[in-house]
Amino acid sequence: MRKVFPLDWALSVQWRIWRAKTFLRRGALKLQYVLTVYTLLIINKAGGLVYNRDFSPSPNASVEKISTNDYLVLAGTFHGVHAITKSLTPRIPTKNPTSSSRPSSNPNALNIAPSLDNTQPSSQIQTTTPNPNLPVTGLETLETSFFRLTCFQTHTGTKFLLITDPLMPNVDAVMKGVYERYADHVMKNPFYQLEMPIRVEGWDRAVGQWLGGR
Amino acid sequence: MVVYSFYIFDRHADCIYKRRWLPTASIPSNSSRPVSEATTDGNVARSRKALSAEDDAKLIFGTVFSLRNMVRKLGGEDDTFLSYRTSQYKLHYYETPTNAKFVMLTDTKSGSMRIALHQIYVSIYVEYVVKNPLSPVEHPGGLGVNNELFEITLEQFVDRVLNATS
Repeated sequence: MRKVFPLDWALSVQWRIWRAKTFLRRGALKLQYVLTVYTLLIINKAGGLVYNRDFSPSPNASVEKISTNDYLVLAGTFHGVHAITKSLTPRIPTKNPTSSSRPSSNPNALNIAPSLDNTQPSSQIQTTTPNPNLPVTGLETLETSFFRLTCFQTHTGTKFLLITDPLMPNVDAVMKGVYERYADHVMKNPFYQLEMPIRVEGWDRAVGQWLGGR
Repeated sequence: MVVYSFYIFDRHADCIYKRRWLPTASIPSNSSRPVSEATTDGNVARSRKALSAEDDAKLIFGTVFSLRNMVRKLGGEDDTFLSYRTSQYKLHYYETPTNAKFVMLTDTKSGSMRIALHQIYVSIYVEYVVKNPLSPVEHPGGLGVNNELFEITLEQFVDRVLNATS
């Protein structure tokens, strides 16, 4: 028993060291992964792509690099989908004296609402959005198994899309930084033509510094 | 959390089942005074009401289909679209290996519903629609899906499991 133990012990120590090493190696990789911004896209108010830049390789290693042409198509699609998601907002009927007699638990209440509209003035059925305190927006974040897409729409209709790791925290702050740099380097540039692709060196540098280290 | 609606689409892009749950307005402070519909908001409300439930289902399918293809382009063939969120609602998506699509709209505070949708597929849809010997293989116009057992069980699942865990 005394003879067997050291060998057994040595093996187990070696195995443990190997396990710790691989764990550390993979852990270090993971740490780099977690705080990754993959791609930044900027879509103008007409749905055209004005800026795209990849910061790290795609979340899935099997995907070949997406061409600018594909990003253009993607931006147009996203612009349309964004508008549709806004119009899909569920409407919740509010209690008002004229329609309170209608049982609210009736599953067909909304289904019959359009037909009621034809016979009665439409102002009688009042509806509200689920979060009345917030403005109705389109898609804000999209989650998939490999990445998360965060969309920020400015007041003028420009959309900033950040494709990040699904576990990345504080995307809002990152987005705010990007918007600030956009305002400083692109909007304040007297030579930049509105709604046109962004070719500004200072912006490239600034946004690269801001997102590259993440 | 609150579930607003639930849709099933078959592999031919037809909506074979839709169900809406309408919560009463959750703004008790506003109940005494009239809700002012601002000019822009009022227009949105009016244009929304013109759409019927069928139009909604078609729009939802279009959205989900486009987003699914977009996600595959960005993340590769084995990436799956899980959910998206706006300021007002959250849409959850689950696709079965046979390309049936399960879509659920909930409030924004809900977490991931992937397990719940999978549960609906496995223990309600498969049990009461697929295993039903009288149900056709395809469901044109929702034929065979809207049977009593399926509806009751779905109702119970949403009421007791999903709407209860607030």
